[in-house]
Amino acid sequence: MFSSSMLKSISKPGRYAGGEFGQIIKDPAAVDARVAFCFPDAYEIGMSNLGMRILYGVLNREENISCERVFAPWIDMEDKMREKKVLLCSHETGTPVKDFDFLAITVQYEMCYTNVLNVLELSGIPLRAENRDDSFPIVIGGGPCSYNPEPIADFFDLFDIGEGEEMLPEIVRLYAEMKKKGCTKHEFLLEAARTIEGVYVPGFYDVTYNGDGTVRAYTPKYEGVPAKVRKRIVKDLDTMYFPDKVVMPYIECVQDRIMLEVFRGCIRGCRFCQAGMIYRPVREKAPETLLKQAKCLYENTGYEEISLTSLSISDYTKLRELTDGLIEWTDEKKVSLSLPSLRIDSFSRELMEKVASVRSSSITFAPEAGTQRLRDVINNNVTEEDLMRSAGIAFSAGKEQVKLYFMDGLPTETNEDLEGIAHLAEETVEEFYRTPGHSRRAPTVTISVSCFVPKPFTPFQWEPQATMKELIEKNNYIGSCIKSRKVRYTHHDAKVSHIEAILALGDRKLSAALELARSEGFRFDAWDEFFDYDKWMAVFAEAGIDTAFYANRRKADDEILPWDVIDCGVTKEFLLRERNKAYAEKTTPSCREKCSGCGAACLGGKDICCPSAGNKGEDR
Amino acid sequence: MTDKIEYPMLPEPRTVRLRFKKTGALQYISHLDLQRSFIRILARAELPLWFTQGFNPHPKLVFALPLAIGTESVCELADIRIERDMPCDEILKRLGTASSGGLEFTDCYVPSAKFAEITGTEYTITLELGEDDAKAFSEKAFETLTSSPIVIRKRTKSGEKEVDISGMISRLRIDRKRGNVTINAVLSAGEGNTLNPENLLDALRAATGLPDAETEYSCMRLKMLCKDGAEFR
Ligand code: SF4
Repeated sequence: MFSSSMLKSISKPGRYAGGEFGQIIKDPAAVDARVAFCFPDAYEIGMSNLGMRILYGVLNREENISCERVFAPWIDMEDKMREKKVLLCSHETGTPVKDFDFLAITVQYEMCYTNVLNVLELSGIPLRAENRDDSFPIVIGGGPCSYNPEPIADFFDLFDIGEGEEMLPEIVRLYAEMKKKGCTKHEFLLEAARTIEGVYVPGFYDVTYNGDGTVRAYTPKYEGVPAKVRKRIVKDLDTMYFPDKVVMPYIECVQDRIMLEVFRGCIRGCRFCQAGMIYRPVREKAPETLLKQAKCLYENTGYEEISLTSLSISDYTKLRELTDGLIEWTDEKKVSLSLPSLRIDSFSRELMEKVASVRSSSITFAPEAGTQRLRDVINNNVTEEDLMRSAGIAFSAGKEQVKLYFMDGLPTETNEDLEGIAHLAEETVEEFYRTPGHSRRAPTVTISVSCFVPKPFTPFQWEPQATMKELIEKNNYIGSCIKSRKVRYTHHDAKVSHIEAILALGDRKLSAALELARSEGFRFDAWDEFFDYDKWMAVFAEAGIDTAFYANRRKADDEILPWDVIDCGVTKEFLLRERNKAYAEKTTPSCREKCSGCGAACLGGKDICCPSAGNKGEDR
Repeated sequence: MTDKIEYPMLPEPRTVRLRFKKTGALQYISHLDLQRSFIRILARAELPLWFTQGFNPHPKLVFALPLAIGTESVCELADIRIERDMPCDEILKRLGTASSGGLEFTDCYVPSAKFAEITGTEYTITLELGEDDAKAFSEKAFETLTSSPIVIRKRTKSGEKEVDISGMISRLRIDRKRGNVTINAVLSAGEGNTLNPENLLDALRAATGLPDAETEYSCMRLKMLCKDGAEFR
């Protein structure tokens, strides 16, 4: 427990104080297994994560399991902790993390890897799984990064691959049973790997490499351990556990609103998008379920905003039914709706009026690429006409600020595509003046450009990332193409994207570099103020890592990739097919128009748009 | 919904005063964060709030005196405005189920006095100094806080400035029990004239070096007072 003198001497002590409405405190003596659930970033980031809200509830729902929250302490608190030799503790009961049975860490982005290691260190837990005896908690990883867990595999005992609502309680229940029988950690891990689908125990595989550094093979060390771990999904979202009670943070968080998850997956298949692939197949909740859940969440939270959080929300088949049903009571309660992921081609005046808060004068669209050719390559399926029509709707409703998201460094990209970004922005400005009834204020079109990062389990997983030099040139070139003074231009730091690519595409050899980074004091790399590119490159060099091998190399079609040990449903054949179609500048219809046989249908699910599993024999 | 009774509309919105404690973990929540959280508590309690009219309707919520981070209180007051005739005990009951341990609602009534009438606040500050330091400290503390002038640097809206706080402290009492020193005092309050326990501790730090970074201490606001010395309601 942090003492009051510690809390009084740091910034934002509310991050550590606990005491929130809705937190669940159980008597440690009355449960069979205790889980410390960690979001390895600042409290206000972690408390905004829907996955954490769900898994906290799902574990605490089990009578004999308790789940408590842990976050990465901010640097001022870390300094105090190190100075006073205080170990990292849980929020609910102030129990040292190392006294729990499990430390479950949700790994949401690559740039938090050093925080993961710092959390272990501050908890007094040895970093490498092989150096931890049975007295330490079992360290579980999950979240999007677990689809290529290899760079951090050596630090974890187990990963749960896929959706955790069912899997995580199964794991903890198995542990509780085996603990009673006096089994060892090894026995438990082996049983979990053999019997629970989605469990990946990195220590149970021998990994060999070819002379050129590429993977030769992953071989299970024990019988019954799967050669490929298939991701778990929840089949029926309507009956799935949903957290009706939410821990209500007192301090301001990134997401201070109700997050209503409408469906999982995405029918679109943008070729750069990892989420669009790994969360397949699309499974929807029924509007009746959602309306009930929204009401219940409002009563239990009092939040003044409901955000419909799903990828590409306008693809929800019953969106109108849902929004109409919500508006029946939200208007009266002064609760506003927000749809963070509207597609350009589905934007309508009606939708905007339902969701737009009166105050916001700006609206965001994501054309992603500057020309139709490149938009076809990435399968974004949006046209310039769509954009102009949508912007026109926004302008005619009095808005004068539009934000446009793009990527640069995409496969096959040329200068023409970059010029297209400036062109689209300038056309949007023109559209403002073409729109009757536009605002009297001058328009601003902001373009925000991020650098393409090839991600595992996407059609672009074989692609090299543009080099740093190229990325910087591209960023500058876009800037030089913009003539209109009504266009504002911002771009992400190419340096961050480069490190992200290395970590996203890495294998187990990177763990040495991460260990080194940690020993050099790295943490909070997702925060601009702490990210230091030169130090990262120095660490890679010292660890003998050729960064270009991971980030800037075109991988052979038949190369064994580090994440091939994971089966996320979508097949490699499909991804290759998509990659080749990208080269041919051919688009692929959405899952709703026509199934493309990606392979995810084999995972099953209720109310999915896939033709019934097994129909697509060609892919399996 | 907790209750389906429709309370009748009031001809005019009614101001209702809430009294609450802010203790334990809640002492680390800033005034701004408390305000935001309050709105959600009021919504969870499903009180028939009156909303301001206009572009951005919001409920009316006014606090008596902001409380600094690190100070607990058993006497906080806030006014809200309701549009339906919900009885005060019902409001109190609902708030009870909508809030957590460190934030406890203790009273609810229709006020007759205005917050501007508050002129002082009674605090108690407890310092865990250990037997060795306690005696010398308590003597020195009394001497310091009864001298004049007592000059500290105080943050104001227009930057830091030096102020004499000697006239802002009254009814001072310092007790010592083993290693713990308790300072009880009424500090002036009100627009532009508010003294916080931390200001007092600053004066003591300057004079005695204590409390330092290692000292465990707590501050508690006990009462808000009117000019005549009676408790403000
Ligand atoms: S199996 Fe077909 S419909 Fe289902 S997710 Fe894959 S491509 Fe889409």
